[in-house]
Amino acid sequence: MNELSRAQIRDLMAQVLKNQDKELPGDDAAQLREIGFRSLDFSELALRVEDETGEELNFDAPGLRRIATVGDVLDFLVELQHQ
Amino acid sequence: MTVATSRHSAPAPAEPAGVDNRLVVGGAALTWRSLPTPTLPDPAAVLAHSAVHALTAARQHAVHGTELLLSTASRVDAALRTELLEAGFTVGVLDDDGVHPGAPARPRAAEPGRLWLLTSGSTGRPKRVGHTLDTLTTVRVDQPGRTWLCPYAPGTYAWWQVVTLSLTQPDQHLVVVEPDELDDWPGVAAAHGVDAASGTPTFWRRTLYRDAEALARVPLRQITLGGEPVDQAILDQLREVFPAARVSWIYASSEVGASIVVHDGRAGFPVDWLDRDTPGRPTLSVVDDELVVTSPFHGAGLAGPVRTGDRVQVLDGRVLITGRLDSDEINVGGSKVSAGMVRGVLAGHPAVAWARVTGRRAPVLGRMVVAEVVLAPAASGVPDEAALVRWCADRLPEHAVPRRIRVLTDIPVKETLKSDV
Repeated sequence: MNELSRAQIRDLMAQVLKNQDKELPGDDAAQLREIGFRSLDFSELALRVEDETGEELNFDAPGLRRIATVGDVLDFLVELQHQ
Repeated sequence: MTVATSRHSAPAPAEPAGVDNRLVVGGAALTWRSLPTPTLPDPAAVLAHSAVHALTAARQHAVHGTELLLSTASRVDAALRTELLEAGFTVGVLDDDGVHPGAPARPRAAEPGRLWLLTSGSTGRPKRVGHTLDTLTTVRVDQPGRTWLCPYAPGTYAWWQVVTLSLTQPDQHLVVVEPDELDDWPGVAAAHGVDAASGTPTFWRRTLYRDAEALARVPLRQITLGGEPVDQAILDQLREVFPAARVSWIYASSEVGASIVVHDGRAGFPVDWLDRDTPGRPTLSVVDDELVVTSPFHGAGLAGPVRTGDRVQVLDGRVLITGRLDSDEINVGGSKVSAGMVRGVLAGHPAVAWARVTGRRAPVLGRMVVAEVVLAPAASGVPDEAALVRWCADRLPEHAVPRRIRVLTDIPVKETLKSDV
């Protein structure tokens, strides 16, 4: 199975923001609210991960969780690839 | 031995008013009158071997009134064939040697004058809808003499529209293109003086995409679009190539007949056409975002209001038909998006030749809007995905913006000339 590393997902996340003339800070602790990364952006990022790996993510697998920081997003998507 | 004879001789077969109109099929010049006269079984499901055989069956029906379902072998699979035999039809291929019949499983008396259409089946299995030549003939007023292109698959509603026009009205000639000629139709049409053509938006987009210069050489005075949602971009593009032609769009289906005809060059129809009751004309209504049509041209058993399954949206005084109800609406995290509206915005980009918009499964929001596009060949400065996303973001609410846009190399098309957009 193709799998993206945390760094590769970070690059995709930066691309999503760049398309909206926004910048992804280097700090994983940065708050999504502050950088303007919202649910639409999160969904787009998930689709980009799917398109890169050619594998469908199982969005239902993990339980609900709080996704508030850049690190949360990256952790979540890394984990989703293992489901 | 005595033989009972009818005191009245059988009425002479009726001669359709268009019987001397010209037909060009596969480059050969014919007339309705010069077509062969095979005897059709009655009732018959005729699978036309080629365009000329389809026209032959239509002419024989018009003259003799035999019960007829006309289609092509590719549209009738084994299950449908069994269904037709069970329903009392003789099913057979019509070629140069006549009909090669398969006997009905349950023979029955024919219904004189009955014509059956198979709906295009974009919503599931093909369904039979009963018509007559009369309910299929929606153009009754005198028309200026025209030579029409017929690009449609035999037996479809759109095919019958062009065919009945030529059969029943003098001076309405037909140039029929076979499926294998479809990509080169402008050459055929220009050679035979086609000045009127009817096609789906996908058909027109494909033609503009493949060879707009060849299209411009066809001396078109009447351009008609139908069979799929018609957006402003395609109307404008055709107007640019043919500034003097009348550009019309038609809303028609096997179920309700031709119900809406718009000639003003704009997408949608005026909102004051809704709920207008004019004798002899269809009444148009909207119920829960769905177009409801009460039409005098309806199929058998479909009198009264018919829910069309087509979704509409009122915008700036126009009622826009955006797509099928079951596929047009995309629910993005609780916000409703019309795929047709998004498609219209993408198609309005100068470098986009064709677009398809769908919902794709996504986390958090459930679904997300995504798109596929074909770029215009002559597009200067080919836009990338981000540029197209930005174009949409400038014109649509945030949740309606397609975030993933895939570029295809050719416009997909089916036998019905639709893309299922």
